[in-house]
Amino acid sequence: MSNVHSSHYGREIRVAWAIAVKDMRTYYTKPPSLMFGILFPFSLFLSFSIGRNIPLATQIPILISQTLFFASSSIGPVVIPMERANQTFDRFLTSPVSLFSILLGKTLAGIIYGAGVSVIPVLVGIAFFSSQIVNIGALIACFALSSLAFSALGIMFASIPGQTPGQVMMPLNFVRIPLLFISGVFTPIGELPTWMQAVSMFSPLTHTVELARYASGADAFFGPVLNITILSAYAAAFLFMGIRFHIMNQRKE
Amino acid sequence: MDHINFEVKKGEVFGFLGPNGAGKTTTIRMLTGISIPTEGTATIMGCDIQSESVEAKEQMGIVPDVSNVYNELSAWDNLIFTGKLYDMPKAYREKRAEELLRMFGLFERCKEKVQGFSRGMKRRICIAMALMNRSHILFLDEPTSGLDVQSVLVIRDLIRKLNQQGLTVFLTTHNIEEASQMCDHVAIINHGKIAVIDTPERLKRTVENLQSVEVAFETASPNMLEELKEFPTVSDAVKEGDKFRLITKDPTSVLTSIWNYAQKNNLKLITVNTLGPSLEDVFVKLTGIKLATEEERNNRMKTQEAPRRIAKQ
Repeated sequence: MSNVHSSHYGREIRVAWAIAVKDMRTYYTKPPSLMFGILFPFSLFLSFSIGRNIPLATQIPILISQTLFFASSSIGPVVIPMERANQTFDRFLTSPVSLFSILLGKTLAGIIYGAGVSVIPVLVGIAFFSSQIVNIGALIACFALSSLAFSALGIMFASIPGQTPGQVMMPLNFVRIPLLFISGVFTPIGELPTWMQAVSMFSPLTHTVELARYASGADAFFGPVLNITILSAYAAAFLFMGIRFHIMNQRKE
Repeated sequence: MDHINFEVKKGEVFGFLGPNGAGKTTTIRMLTGISIPTEGTATIMGCDIQSESVEAKEQMGIVPDVSNVYNELSAWDNLIFTGKLYDMPKAYREKRAEELLRMFGLFERCKEKVQGFSRGMKRRICIAMALMNRSHILFLDEPTSGLDVQSVLVIRDLIRKLNQQGLTVFLTTHNIEEASQMCDHVAIINHGKIAVIDTPERLKRTVENLQSVEVAFETASPNMLEELKEFPTVSDAVKEGDKFRLITKDPTSVLTSIWNYAQKNNLKLITVNTLGPSLEDVFVKLTGIKLATEEERNNRMKTQEAPRRIAKQ
């Protein structure tokens, strides 16, 4: 028996962190992580922005939002099916730790990946394009809550019982791609028809875009308080549903 | 699984024997918390696997049928990560990892990535990972399946030593000889139900009328099998490679018949053995299924792996 004399919660957090670190070491440089997490949002952004007369102040927040969205939500759908295929996911299920801590570890790996990749456009914007961050608090809230919500979204989709990243990425992209069109990425929320503005409020990506724009000095349509509230609610909901779906999978086996 | 009920005594090797799809792996997955059963309970060292899952899981180590090591990590990192999953303190997990890697003959290569290791070495790492937390019960799902003879012997020897040190072993296997040699009790499972549980020797006694004589002649004619079946007291005969196995209640009379047959046909005898009933006889009697040989299983595995190899190219 292990020499454990520590508190239950401390133990769960340490194990979650160990899982996150292992995932970082093992999966960050895997081709699906690079393709779905980095290449995909950057090429999508370039195809949207090149040749169009869009002000820089608008472009950088869009790139930040897209990288946060795609990179954070890609790690779970890459890691969990691969671990299912070689049965290493079973190691977590047989270790003395709760499913919540296992999925928290996986979520942490997505948060760090998403936030890490998304720092690049911020730094590039500041260094080379005179981009400004006027509200650092809004930027931190944007990074923290968006990466948490989107990473949990990825973990929730990773409960789909597939053994290759593609089996999870396909249904996930059915959700991710349409969200781009209703979340003020291509067209600012204020310019959308009223009914679409109402719909966009329910997209978590809307609030990431809004917070990123707000941090760079632009006006926010819904306002930072609503953005933070809705992103927090989505993060909690995705985490909760992710756990429920993974338990359902265990019962189905 | 269909309402199975059994108990494994502390310190014993308990074998779970059954054909493919009988429910061996499903049982292990439910006992170790990977799958959740729709009904019923299971306790490990007194801890309920569902309501006290953390406590129950602290007692056990698991070696699945596939060596589920992290190929991108070294043998050392695999063990250290396992130690972290059990929240073992740093100094303790490093000491334990070194101890196990030395015990399993892997310490010299412990900093190499596991992906270059042989199946046998990966299997040993898997067992070492299962022992990191000094578990009281070790679940082994087909631990020697698909391994070369040397690795099989090493692993069986390890299991014996660990059991002698007091570790309880729950072993699923398709290998009847393995179950017969290693297990204190054997459960034979078929179609999700346990057909019988007993010691291997007591199980063999239930089919005492299935004694047999094994014979090999220097040359064999095509109709020899039919001729051997006609011997008095022989209830059945099968050809197994270059040998014939004659099932009988009276081996002595069959030996006389064989001697007379060889003399009459001017045949040279290569081997003659009388055999008691085997666990395989019990298994066949209970399930009606003859288990695949190791060679057949390996061939099947190679056939299944072939498309993957093509895909990688």
